[in-house]
Amino acid sequence: MKHLIPLAAAFVLAAPAMAAPQIGSPAPNFRLVGMNGQAVSLDQYKGKIVVLEWNNPGCPFVKKHYGSGNMQKTQAAARNAGVVWLTINSSAAGKQGHMDGAAARAFVAGQKAQPTAYLLDPAGTVGRGYGAVTTPHMYVIDRAGRLVYAGGIDDKPTANPADVAGARNHVLAALGEVAAGKKVSVPTSRPYGCNVKYKDS
Amino acid sequence: MAAAAWLVALLMLFGFEMPSRAQQAGGTNVAVTLVPGAQQAPVGASIPLAFVMKPKPGWHGYWENPGDAGAEATISWTLPKGITASDLRYPVPERLVVSGIMNYVYEHEYALLADLKLAADVAPGTRLPIRARLDFLACTAEICVPDSAEVSTEIVAGPAGQPAAMDKRFAAFEAAMPRPIGAEGRFLVENGMVRIGVPLPASVDVEDPYFFPFDYGSLDHGAAQKVSRNGDLLIVETRAGANATGLAAVPGLLSIGEGQGLLVTAKPGPVPPAGVTADAEAPAAGAGWRVIQAALAGAILGGLLLNVMPCVFPILSLKALSLAKAGADESSARREALAYTAGVVLVCVALGGILLGLRAGGAAVGWAFQLQDPRVILILLLLVTAIALNLAGLFELPAIASGGRLAAAGGVHGAFWTGALAAFVATPCTGPFMGAALGAALVLPTAASLAIFAGLGLGLALPFLLLGFVPALRRRLPRPGAWMNRLRRILSVPMFLTALGLAWVLGRQAGVDGMALGVGAALVLGLGFWWVGVRQGGSRAWLPLAPALAAAAAAIFIVPLGVRAEVAAQGVLASEPFREASLAALRAERRPVFVYFTADWCITCKVNEKGAMASAEVARAFQARNVAVLGGDWTRGDAEIGRFLAQHGRSGVPLYLYYPPGQDAKILPQILTVGELTALGTPV
Repeated sequence: MKHLIPLAAAFVLAAPAMAAPQIGSPAPNFRLVGMNGQAVSLDQYKGKIVVLEWNNPGCPFVKKHYGSGNMQKTQAAARNAGVVWLTINSSAAGKQGHMDGAAARAFVAGQKAQPTAYLLDPAGTVGRGYGAVTTPHMYVIDRAGRLVYAGGIDDKPTANPADVAGARNHVLAALGEVAAGKKVSVPTSRPYGCNVKYKDS
Repeated sequence: MAAAAWLVALLMLFGFEMPSRAQQAGGTNVAVTLVPGAQQAPVGASIPLAFVMKPKPGWHGYWENPGDAGAEATISWTLPKGITASDLRYPVPERLVVSGIMNYVYEHEYALLADLKLAADVAPGTRLPIRARLDFLACTAEICVPDSAEVSTEIVAGPAGQPAAMDKRFAAFEAAMPRPIGAEGRFLVENGMVRIGVPLPASVDVEDPYFFPFDYGSLDHGAAQKVSRNGDLLIVETRAGANATGLAAVPGLLSIGEGQGLLVTAKPGPVPPAGVTADAEAPAAGAGWRVIQAALAGAILGGLLLNVMPCVFPILSLKALSLAKAGADESSARREALAYTAGVVLVCVALGGILLGLRAGGAAVGWAFQLQDPRVILILLLLVTAIALNLAGLFELPAIASGGRLAAAGGVHGAFWTGALAAFVATPCTGPFMGAALGAALVLPTAASLAIFAGLGLGLALPFLLLGFVPALRRRLPRPGAWMNRLRRILSVPMFLTALGLAWVLGRQAGVDGMALGVGAALVLGLGFWWVGVRQGGSRAWLPLAPALAAAAAAIFIVPLGVRAEVAAQGVLASEPFREASLAALRAERRPVFVYFTADWCITCKVNEKGAMASAEVARAFQARNVAVLGGDWTRGDAEIGRFLAQHGRSGVPLYLYYPPGQDAKILPQILTVGELTALGTPV
């Protein structure tokens, strides 16, 4: 009994607060530097549907979706529908997946990826602010700037590229529903993948 | 160890392969080996199979719910005809926070178990090759690597019914598995927080408790969990996950320390806030309503039976007498009956409330707890002695002495306190009748428990209530007259016997010194009353009682309390530890055997052990009928007990079995009653 309280207290200190925005609440604004050195902020896309994708090229789960072409296909489908796609890299310096602008440009070109922008978040502030825990971790923001989806890219939480074929792509489904003015039927799902390689706090 | 880890890391750095790794069946960073529970498996039964996972230093594998990241293992089997495999069973996981992200993992060697079932039509002697491909994720704090292992082994089908010779390692594998708690939990989602109540006996120590949810989105994995205890309820409070609202159930694993975990499913329902006693909460609507009704009926019936117990009967007769004395005045009779009932019910509810309050505070108490304190016994002894002396005519109470002029208000007052006294002294008599109802009361929501205590009081007051409200009954009471005084004197005898009984209880609790002290205090009080009796009618007749009372009260402060523990310790039936071999031996002797399985964290088990199984009646009946008792403790997940439970279709405790001589086991209900237990066996 007595030792429960200090233990609980110790645990509070060990876990930094990651109060992720709730589904239906406004998506917090942010400002990051992109791979080309340009500053990008979320509110410059006001009135548009926005997808956030957390990325770490070294993560096997990210490799699953880029290697199979699934991520690029999803990006192309979204961009063709007028959706803004922001890929965000929150890997800290010295950790897996950390990139500077040049490395990010090489990655995007090498993978034939089609994000609107590839953003660098080495301090992890945006990632932590959104409660991004895995790579990939996907978010969809509607035209009113509200968060309507957060979770995995699909419903097959494996690293096996063969599983892409039979999976439900939650992001494309959510984008379709938002475009049709419908409520997102699966607003949250398990975000699966590797830990985001944040700077140790 | 650390040096070895460094060496491994160094060798890896230079590209050396550890020679032992070549022998592993698969897995680069987490070595996987397949171990069958037994080489020979009986047809028509199941044996466990273990995937022994050995992560390299710094690496980890994942639990079923990997936490915020990671993935659970997937398996594909290649099994011969006649064999089916169960889902994987995962041992109790550990928490690993990496840069603020919560992972549910294993950083040490662990074993995933699957149960293989052999069809009954497999021919004994058949060789059965078992192949499996395990896909899993292995990570360090820095990188994650999907891995897979192709593993195989072979078992041989053995004759049906012949127990498998188990691999010794499986005792440890099974002990690491979480165990079903056998009772349902409750959860409540409120203001973005989830509160989960897990029934866990207050006597169980927990270390670093943590609730691992099975499903994604019910709890926020990364948020801190605040754990508190409220009597037999452990309360976990944490931030709600993304899908928490509208959930039909929150299944999870509560770890309570040293790799010990309990499986519990929480259903929507009230959970008292952390740190607040249960009294504030209303009972769950419809939760166990039939149990409540049955317990309430039992409580009323039990209360009714208490009227004929030697400890209550004199008090009741005394009151009936005063009613008869007061004449057949309709309204005052009713008022007195109601006042008496109020006194009885209030005291019962108050005692129940104190009991529940003490339990909430974690004290191990049972019904009649107030009679475990020698000071309470001493007060009762003095009170009963005074009543007996009064009945015997040593002195007259002013109200009774005033006879026919008995004021209505005074009568109501008197009736109330008579009722209160009757209820207070009746509690030691409750044991034999009330075990089941009170056992239920202690696990029900607070309001329902109090209702049962009230029911007990109502039953106790029922005869007097009838007497007050049915004039026909009262008319059958004889007219007042000189006979009444004679009856009073006679009634003093059972009251003196009650006093004698209390003196004996005092002796049991506080030793010979305590008993002598009690009897001495009673004597001083008696002398005081005698003096009062002599001066009766005069002014300040009650004055001499003051020093006597003071002397008697002094005894309360010096009565020894030391011997108490011996009496307070409530025993379970004398039993031997359960072993299948001892069961077989006892059955071969053609002795009737009662087998029970328990665990420290099983609340139903504890209720039965403190209730029906602790009853002296049951102990006597078992002794008389030569019933052997075997008790199995599954607190730490003994593998032999686990298999035995599984054979009887249970995944957990409690399990109560009775083996009549030469016959198969009868499974007894999960809530035991004294009647059920005493009926076991045949008289010899």
